[in-house]
Parts: sequence; C-alpha cells; structure tokens
Amino acid sequence: MTGSGPERLLEVAEAAIGAGGADDAEALVYRQAGGLTRFASSRIHQSAWREDLSVRVRVVVDGNRVGTATVHSADPGAVRATARRAAEVARTMPPDPGYPGMPGPAAYPEAGRHDPATAAADPATRAGLVAGVIRRLPDGVAAAGACETRELEIALANTRGVRAAGATTAASFSILADAGSGTGWAEGTEPALADLDVAALGERAARKAVDSREPRELAPGTYPVVLEPNAASVLVQWLGWLGFGAKAYDEGRSFLVGRLGQRVCSPLVTIVDDATAADTIGVGFDFEGVPKRPVTLIDRGVAASLVYDFRAATGHGVEPTGHGLPAPSAEGALPMHLAMLPGQIPQADLVAGLERGLLVTRFHYTNLVNLMDTTITGMTRDGTFWVEDGRVVGAVRNLRFTQSILDALSSVRAVGAETEMAAEDGYGAARAPALAIDRFAFSSATTF
Amino acid sequence: MEPEELTELALEAAVAAGAGYADVRWVREETEGLTVTDDRVDDLEAEDSSGLGVRVLVDGRWGFAASALVDPGRAGDLARRAVEVARASAAAGGEPVRLAPAEPAVAGWSTPVARDPFAVPLAERVELLLAACDAQRSVAGLAHAKATVDLWRRRTVLWSSEGTRLDQTVTQAGAGIEAVAVGDGDLQQRSWPNSFRGQYQAGGWEVVEAAELVANAPRVAAEAVQLLAAPPLPERVTTVILDGQQLSLQVHESVGHPLELDRILGMEAAYAGTSFVAPGDLGRLRYGSPAMSVTADATTPGGLGTFGFDDEGVAAQRSPLVAEGVVAGFLTSRETAVDGAGSGGAMRADGWGSMPLIRMTNVHLEPGQGSLDELVADTPDGLLLSVNRSWSIDDRRVNFQFGVEAAWEIKGGRLGRLYRNATYDGRTTEFWGSLDAVCGPGDWVVWGVPNCGKGQPFQNARVGHGAAPARFRNVHVGVGR
Repeated sequence: MTGSGPERLLEVAEAAIGAGGADDAEALVYRQAGGLTRFASSRIHQSAWREDLSVRVRVVVDGNRVGTATVHSADPGAVRATARRAAEVARTMPPDPGYPGMPGPAAYPEAGRHDPATAAADPATRAGLVAGVIRRLPDGVAAAGACETRELEIALANTRGVRAAGATTAASFSILADAGSGTGWAEGTEPALADLDVAALGERAARKAVDSREPRELAPGTYPVVLEPNAASVLVQWLGWLGFGAKAYDEGRSFLVGRLGQRVCSPLVTIVDDATAADTIGVGFDFEGVPKRPVTLIDRGVAASLVYDFRAATGHGVEPTGHGLPAPSAEGALPMHLAMLPGQIPQADLVAGLERGLLVTRFHYTNLVNLMDTTITGMTRDGTFWVEDGRVVGAVRNLRFTQSILDALSSVRAVGAETEMAAEDGYGAARAPALAIDRFAFSSATTF
Repeated sequence: MEPEELTELALEAAVAAGAGYADVRWVREETEGLTVTDDRVDDLEAEDSSGLGVRVLVDGRWGFAASALVDPGRAGDLARRAVEVARASAAAGGEPVRLAPAEPAVAGWSTPVARDPFAVPLAERVELLLAACDAQRSVAGLAHAKATVDLWRRRTVLWSSEGTRLDQTVTQAGAGIEAVAVGDGDLQQRSWPNSFRGQYQAGGWEVVEAAELVANAPRVAAEAVQLLAAPPLPERVTTVILDGQQLSLQVHESVGHPLELDRILGMEAAYAGTSFVAPGDLGRLRYGSPAMSVTADATTPGGLGTFGFDDEGVAAQRSPLVAEGVVAGFLTSRETAVDGAGSGGAMRADGWGSMPLIRMTNVHLEPGQGSLDELVADTPDGLLLSVNRSWSIDDRRVNFQFGVEAAWEIKGGRLGRLYRNATYDGRTTEFWGSLDAVCGPGDWVVWGVPNCGKGQPFQNARVGHGAAPARFRNVHVGVGR
C-alpha cells in the first residue's frame, strides 16, 4: 500500500479485481486499528492494541456462479491468491438464477467523522483518562470499565466501476462504579475522544452506585417505567434486527409482515436509520458500494419502510437503500445507524412526571423470546430505582423483564429531549432518548 | 518467513524493550461456512486470517499488541508497542500481576481428524446441504428449509520468554438444519442436531456425517409444522426433563460462567459481569443436589474446548468443578491461580488479535444412569423441553430464563401433546438443587457451543459441554403467559 487515508485501500481493492476472466468482481477492504484500556477493581488490568485488515473478494463466472474468499493481509501475492480462490469457488458453485449483478458507480453522501486525534490516541492518553476518573471516585467506591479509541477505514471496488472509500473514528468510555451493595453505570460513545466528558461519566456512575446501596426487594409485575437512553437504545436496536430487512420480510421472518403502513406503536415514536447524521459512526456506502440513504422505519408510530440490499431491491424493483451486508448474505439488509428521534421533554422531567414506577439505567443480557410479537427478555442492572411522586425514593433489586417491544413502545407516554448512543454488550449501537412507558412487564426478580 | 522466525523476532524485541515476561502467538485461522436456504446457496464464506499477538508483563502490568500486517520489520515494532501499552497501564496503580509457575512446554499437538474437512470438495458440501433442504421441503406446510456446514482450523505457534515452544492445530467442524414454519402471524423453528447452526465438535468431516442431516430432515420439518398448530405452554410449576442440547446451555450459563475465576475476582465486572460465587466458597458452597457433578476437561475427545495446551502454554487438564453438588474447583489462569495450585489451563484467545482470557474448556455434567426413555417412564407428570431458542441470565449468574423450541407434555410416564413458545426460569442454586436424575453414558453427548462471548474487545470462544438428559423438580414454566 502507498499513500494515506482510505484511498490507499482502494489500490488493494483494485488489484484484487484486476485479474480478469470474471463476469463480475468486487473487493471489499476493511481496516480497523485501535486500542482499548480496560480496568477493574480501580486498576488497569488489561490493555491492548490491534490492527486488522481484511480483503474480501467476490467473483462471478458463467454469468451467475458466485464465489467469495477473504484474506487478512495486504500483501499483493496473498490478495491475488485470494482472488483466484474466489474464482475457483465460483466455478464449483451451482448457478444462482436470482443473481442481480453488482451496483454501478454512484455519488456518496458525507457520512461519519474521522478525527485524526482519536485515530492517533496512544495508550498513555487512554490510561490517563482512566486514572483521572479513578482518582476522583468517592471513598468506598471502586470502578471497572473500558476506554476505547478506534479508526475504521473501508474501501470497495467492483468491475462495474464502483470506487468507494471512507474512514471514521469512534471513542467510547464506560464505567461501572461499585459502592458495595450497589452499582452504577455510565457510558458514552462519540466519533471523537475529545467529545467524551469522561469525568462527568465517572461522576454519574459513582452517584448511581451510592444511590443504589441497600436495594429493597420489589415484587415482579407490570409497572410504569422511565428507561434512560442506554436502556431505551436496546429496544431500538432489537427492533432494528427483528424485521426491517427486505429479505427477512420476504421470508416471513419479520414482525412487520402484514403491518407495513399500519400503526405499530405510539405516535410519539419515530425511528430512523441515517448514516449521514452528524452524530453517528460510519461511512457513506454499504458493503456492496451502494450509497447509504436515510430511511424512516417508523414514522410517528406507523411502520413506514423496509431497508434493501442490492439483491432485494432488484427483486422488488426499487432503489437499494444502502443497507447491504457483504454479499451474498443469508441475513440480507440490516439497518446499522438506528436512531429514535428525541422529544421535547428534558429527561429529568420524565422522572418528575412519574407518579409511581421504576427508573431503569441499563439492561443486561437481553435476548429474543418471540420474534413475531417482538418479545424480548433481559435483566435490569447497575441502577434500578423506585420513584414516587416524581422523586427517586430508593434502589430496588434487579428485575427480569419479559416484554413485547412494540407493546412497550405503544404505551410510551413521553420522550426525552436528550439522546445517547449506546448498545447492550457492544453489538452495534443505536441512539435513543429516555422514554416514559406506562406498562412494562417484569416477570421475575434476582437477589441483588 | 516461517511463523517461528517471526515469533522469535517479536519475542527478542519484547524482552529487549523491558518485558519481564513475554509470550508471542502466531495464529492462522481458516474458516469456511456454507448456508443453503431452500434450493440455493444463500451464503458462502471462506476466510484465512493470520497474525501475530504479543503479550508482555512490564513491572507487573499487562500489555498486548497484535496485527495481521506482520513481516520481519514489523514484528519488533509490534513487540515494542506491547511494551508501551504495558508501561501506560501503570497510571492507575494497583497491585502488580504475578504469574503462578508453569513448566515451559515444548511440544506439538493436533486434533485427530479422520477426513480433512477442508479437503472435502465444495460441490460435495453443497450437494449434502441441498439434499438436506430437499428432504425438509418434502413436508407439506414448511415455509423454509436451511442447512449449514461450518469448518474451522486454527494453527497456533506459541513461544514465551520462559522457554515455551508450542505448535498446535485444532480442527473443528459442524453441521445442522433449521426447518421454519410460518402462519397466522407466528413463526416456529425446529433444528437438528442443535440450534445455532447445528452440532459442532473437534474433528473432521466425520462430525458432519454423524449429524445425519438428510435422514433427520423430514422428522424435524414435520415437528416445525406441528409446532405452528400447537398451543402455547401454559404457566405452571412442574417437573421438567431437559434434553442434552438444552442442558448443555444450562450448564454453560449457570455453572461454567459463574465458576470462571476472573469473573469471581471482578475482572469482567463491567461487561460480562461477576459471579454469585466467592473465592471462599471452594469446598463449601452447595451448588446443587448430590446428583450434580461437573467437570472441566480439555482432554475430552471431540470437545470444542479440547486442545493440547491453552494459550498460556499450560497443558490440557481434567478437574472437578462441582463434586456431588459442592463447589470443588474454578476455571483458572496463571494470573488467578490460587494457593500454589497452578493454572487450570483455561486461558484461550479468540485468534491472534486477542489477549487470552479464562474461558470454559469442556464443562461437563457427569452422567448418571438409565436412558431418556426410562426417565420419561419414571415421570408421572411433567414436560420434556427440547433444544434452546432463547437464553438470558443476570450479571451474577443467579436469575435465568430460557426458551426452547419444543415442549412435550409427560403424563403417566409417556410423551403427550406438543407445546410451542415454551420458557422456563429460575435461580441457579435452587434449580440445580432440584436436580434428581441424570441419564447415563448412553445418552451423554459432548455438545458444542460455538458462540460464547466475553471480554473487551469482544471475544468469541467455542466450548464443549457433555450432557445427558436430566430431570429437575418444581420448575416455573410458561413465563409471560
């Protein structure tokens, strides 16, 4: 590779598709580099730096026989060998009558943000942030968490003329504060490290931990809740996985089957997928080289749109929306830049408007129970509080919820004005505001 | 350049830069996955990933650096970067890391393979999966048929500053089918031999053949269609028999993870969580009934957690975790090994790019006696719960809830009507305390769990669980009904 920036990855992609002899060829080059400083019991216990680069080549022969191969190397010989291997695979595959061809060249929107300082952040910078937060913890409070900085670069070229390259950065800081009988959590993710207020995150987590001490038992049941953005984002993320992709819809494995154009939740709920939003992380094209378009998935409570990769769009006779995964994909298209639009009410006022109910900081280990009615289960964690007459009156032991997401979003009473980007357990991310929900079903309780 | 030469270069550079301890892993991982849906190849992945990971201790602080872009010039840079990372880690203070002693190993090891799965022609694999889908689609009312094959081969060259020199190749394979029925706003799935793309073991193509995908396809498809018409499982407290597939995940979530010593010591607190088990519970805590004996065994033939040496170079071991219901051991590393016992050999990394963490190897529920048929016959009233479809557990591994693909009523010792959308929940020690029977060696299978997540950055591990069907009393089922 020569040059700088993601364009240098295009050289690798172009070399991979340049062998000739194929009807179509595509190369996707993906580079990721960054560091993560991890702490527990108020000391840094693991710290790592990693650089990876993969080249995925897709080759089509005989018009519709498709093969792929991937290598983690930029070595020209290894890349050429991978292209040859993809061609060999293609020659042994059965024909794919539905092969839609490959996308052609397009103009790409501005998307994502590449912050050079975040890309260059060294381990001492991350460790210094961690140490500063630990030093400011109150007596009797210990902390665990992670500080991560990453640079992502992606380039894609195909024999139909696509030449796409982009870069983005991401920084995140998470902290679990442990005050003995109570824990608290705060997390932030932004395109630039400088935009993270790690001191404020540390203070918020510590305050929650102290407030979470000596939690009382609460019987499982259906309660009004205020979900903080971190918890609300989990609902948004799951909903995105459960059926907005056109392939899933076509195969009947989508909760939206028979519901497109219908009201599926409260008019207060609008969910979009928008890679061009200033506060998201990503590039302006998908894994097939199609421009990413903003899509309104739920428009004021009405199921509005699906997302399409190139194959599904061709089959439906519509424009692809730029949500393709590396093709061919059994999954199909997925929304990857989800956001629920904020409301007008400050988050603090959501709690003030709660007569009796629960304030939830965060969910843990959520999982799907029933796809078609969007029921998921999971635990509360690191700050679950009982609210009376608009005031937090104490912590409660953690509860398990088993709840349809659409039912919960149908009883949204108010939407917070501030949003945060988060996701449980680091699988992707969604931006969401806090939500006041009238009915949220907790099916069992735990012991802490 | 040979991997040993790169490894040696990085090791020398790490020590020269000030590492008190260093280990360097060169890893090449080959992965091939194939998915057929109905009558076409839906997904095909063939990936070849190699790289170098350098782990160092400098003044008792860990540093790790890894890259896929390695050549003789960069190997030294990578090692120096690992040392830089370690030096920065001193900023927050705290006790320095000490490693339990371990005899440096100089050895080679490979998974026994009857037929190299990567050498099986792609056309043969596609033909098998198309036949498995055809056999499912012969059943009226089925919406979609899926069939999958996945292959993994990982070669690890591990050298350490203490003299470890290892070369190990682990080969694993798996296959499965998923029959999907859709109707009346519902979707039901039945899988074979297990969900999450099937059954996986260490070994070669013989693992795929043992799954007998085509022979089982009509039955599995018929059950998916029957589930669509079955009633939802009502809520009640009853006796349940978990089949081996579901029980393997129950062991994984509510026994394996809570007994990982890094979780117990708080090292995973912010992400995966901790454990309700304390270090002092060893030999004291009653975890379950006397019918419960659990063993960690990295030597079990065919297990996804079977190897010659872990990623710290510690030889594979077999040791008890729970003995007749009482905690008898933990999953440990050199860093966490207690009281001079030495590492239990459970440090595993997700390829070249990840630091080794304490992971399950093969964590087995030891078999009891009798067959599943005999256990059902011995159950006047209850349920047989089969194959996982949903799982969740709290961050100290106390409160859990599982969903299964199918539930059959047991009445008078015989299987009866089928229920859909079955769930059960409980608390770990109460649940295991209610265990009163485990089937015998004839029904004991080493199941593969290929998707165990842990660590930051996220790491995936493939682990094994030997399990035979087992019976539990007074279990709450039908959550949310």
